[in-house]
Amino acid sequence: MRWPASLVAGSGTFAVIAACALLGPAIAPFPFDEMNIMARFLPPGATHWFGTDEFGRDVLSRLLFGARLSLLMGLGATLFCLLAGVPLGLAAGYYGGRVDEAIMRLIDLVISVPPILMGILILSMTPPNPWKTAIAVGIIYVPIMVRLTRAVTLEIASEEFVLAARARGERAWYILGAEILPNAWPPIIVESALRITFAIMLGAALSFLGLGVHPPASDWGLMIAEARPFIAEAPWVAIAPGVVLCITVIAVNLIGDGLREILDPRLKRGRG
Amino acid sequence: MSVPVLAVSGLSVAYPAALGWLHALEDVSFEVGAGRALGIVGESGSGKSTTALAVLGLLAPEARIERGEALFQGASLFSLPDAERRALRGNRISIVFQDPFGSLNPAIPVGRQIAEPLVLHKGLPEVEAAEEVRRLLAEVGIANPQEIALAYPHQLSGGMKQRALIATALACKPDLLVLDEPTTALDVTIEAQILDLLEQLRRDRGLSMLYITHNLGVVSRICDDVCVLYAGRVVETGSAESLLRRPRHPYTKGLLASLPRVRERKHRLAPIPGRFPDLSAPPPGCIFHPRCHFAIERCASETQVLAAGVRCWRAEELADAAWQAPAETVPDARNTPDTSARALVEVSRLSKTFQLGGLFDGMRLDFSGGFPLKFEAPRVQAVDGVSLSVAPGEVLGLVGESGCGKSTLGRMLIGLIEPSGGSIGIDGGTPRQSARSAQIIFQNPDSSLNPRKTVEAIVGRPLALHGLASGDKLRERVVELLETVRLSSAYLQRYPHQLSGGEKQRVGIARALATSPKFIVCDEVVSALDVSVQAYVLNVLADLRDRLSVAYLFISHDLSVIAHIADRVAVMYRGAIVEEGPVDAVLRPPWHPYTEALLSAIPDLERGAGVQRIRLRGDAVEQGAQGRGCRFQHRCPRKLGAICETETPPVVRAGPGHTIACHIPIEAKAA
Repeated sequence: MRWPASLVAGSGTFAVIAACALLGPAIAPFPFDEMNIMARFLPPGATHWFGTDEFGRDVLSRLLFGARLSLLMGLGATLFCLLAGVPLGLAAGYYGGRVDEAIMRLIDLVISVPPILMGILILSMTPPNPWKTAIAVGIIYVPIMVRLTRAVTLEIASEEFVLAARARGERAWYILGAEILPNAWPPIIVESALRITFAIMLGAALSFLGLGVHPPASDWGLMIAEARPFIAEAPWVAIAPGVVLCITVIAVNLIGDGLREILDPRLKRGRG
Repeated sequence: MSVPVLAVSGLSVAYPAALGWLHALEDVSFEVGAGRALGIVGESGSGKSTTALAVLGLLAPEARIERGEALFQGASLFSLPDAERRALRGNRISIVFQDPFGSLNPAIPVGRQIAEPLVLHKGLPEVEAAEEVRRLLAEVGIANPQEIALAYPHQLSGGMKQRALIATALACKPDLLVLDEPTTALDVTIEAQILDLLEQLRRDRGLSMLYITHNLGVVSRICDDVCVLYAGRVVETGSAESLLRRPRHPYTKGLLASLPRVRERKHRLAPIPGRFPDLSAPPPGCIFHPRCHFAIERCASETQVLAAGVRCWRAEELADAAWQAPAETVPDARNTPDTSARALVEVSRLSKTFQLGGLFDGMRLDFSGGFPLKFEAPRVQAVDGVSLSVAPGEVLGLVGESGCGKSTLGRMLIGLIEPSGGSIGIDGGTPRQSARSAQIIFQNPDSSLNPRKTVEAIVGRPLALHGLASGDKLRERVVELLETVRLSSAYLQRYPHQLSGGEKQRVGIARALATSPKFIVCDEVVSALDVSVQAYVLNVLADLRDRLSVAYLFISHDLSVIAHIADRVAVMYRGAIVEEGPVDAVLRPPWHPYTEALLSAIPDLERGAGVQRIRLRGDAVEQGAQGRGCRFQHRCPRKLGAICETETPPVVRAGPGHTIACHIPIEAKAA
């Protein structure tokens, strides 16, 4: 079988980012928290490839150190979002009636609280910790995943092959898992890829409020947030993490596209 | 003869495809004479809609007109600048599309939409346009034009919408009316009304029409001339009368032989074998030769030109030859259904009420007493006290128009819908217990197979689920099942998107057969298929009935299909069965007025045959809740009077096993 080009490019890029996250502390030229008041806002140059920030810290080193937390935030939150949102959406869409009503009203409840407030609510009860922030971000994005999955499920559940499965006496878990879910993946995958970005940014917002990653620890989202006031004088401090975030998102999207192609027999080439 | 209104010559259109170009139309020529109606007939993919779009200048931007010319009243259409073509469109050439449900903007009142071409092309002031709209609506047979002009599309039934669209098309007094399958989405009684209207408009206005359809019966009713398209080529053209009575091209012969007919029932139909050619790599020579059993060597190498209206080398010598059924379809002897034995399916007083809307739709404030917040959800009675039985190996046809509850009834029989009342016995058990012995086949080949699974997985799953086979045995059995529906084992690893419509439908049949059921509900199984494919699937179903003694509940809106395959027929109207009996008894008098109307609404090939035309008023859906009396009273052309409005009609025995629910005495109906 030939791998789709998008999957190869996407996973290649992502592997590099993941390697940076793993090896970051080992290959970083400077410690992430070494301040140098004399070297504030240095533009990119031979010593500091990506320049320095307002405390004179090396941006490249902070990027490398921050990769681990950022990926944890993005992937962890999205994974949680998928694990909670997809089953709920499937159940709401397939069973309809009271089950649907109950799940959707619960979801409305979550939506009605503003995201940041929701994050504060969840995180202020226990001492903050990055993985807790990831879960909080996941919870905030669950409604979107539920609604999407439910909409797709509603459409597929009325297809005749689902009726045929019911007519031959299949159990609900088989119908949901083997008949509906494989057809529901494409939009869910696209949405998840998008969610990862949003999760990194929302995680940063929470960190900024002191509910996630604590300064001086480094995180891409937090770096962008911290660099915001100085964007006119030292744009590189914000641009560097922004570009890295972009590359990560593109890589994830490419992986999503590739997965879709592999999963959908209609897009497969060279068969039949 | 004067200058034709439309003359198309040598038209070739191609669409870009994955590999090169897809030649949708190749050297298509035809003429629409002044005041004449030309029917363009073809199956899906034949290029009939592309033809219409090319004439109107509405082809998709990626399409390429490779050659050819279209002359509208002697002036070339293709060389006109865009602005001038726009001035023609909706003005001197207008079109009515297939889907009345999607062709009107739901946010704008109907009258305003009809007025649009008047304001745009004729520059009429709004007030005058509104006046003209009312006149047009009256002309297309709408009884209360004032009201309808102000209504929004969702308030109109399908038939009314199509009338409104015809009014829009007529607004600027066009010289040519293009109709693209205008009645395909409508019920047969409504279709009959629209066809009557079109006939009348032609007479009154001297309209020229280009009528695009797949239905040969409609052609025979409406058209003077016919042009048969196959794979983008004109294979035969001529006057409707002679072409339908004495087809000369093998394809036309095949199409006619594939048609089930009410009055001329055959044991087996003669379908066209093979599948539609790939238009991006068409076969050399005659495009039809791979499927033609008359083909000779010459057909594969040289293409005949359209000589004397037919594109076939052997047209002369084959003038009298009939289309032959392929040898494999020679019927087996049939096991006659055992009607004396205990019924396989026994349904008694079955009903189903659907509750509409959600929690808040049914809430009412009512201070007349008790707790002021009342809860009463709107309901609809889909099936109302239906009793019927099916003997082992018997085919019961269930015919009725959309919304009459026939699908709900079928789904209750296999336990997909829980009935609200009455009882169902299938092979001595309830539908839930008999998942193996009762199965269902669905209408839509594109929706009935999971696109993510191979044919083997689809057909094998019921076997695995019920533990009927596993391992090597499983594959063996799947191959066997595929052979029963005449598919080879080459299909095992294919996905649904690699199959044609008829093949998908046969995989659906194989899946239903996997558990060796004794009873199968066939829910409109052939209505989404082309005529030649439909004939093939019907033959497969007939074979199974004969060889395996499977009993069917055959649900369809098409009485000719029912008449072809069923032993007994039940006619359903708004949730209840109004007539039931053996096919031959139901198809001739005495009959229920509704059956009579259904029969006379079928656009038949044999002109003026048998049944006197009676027409129903209105649509089945437009009346309100079921009140007292006969449920057919509002549309009945033979309504007696007060008795029909107050009393539920008695079920009268009209012959052996033949019952009619009507107040009109049997003797009067027989006359």
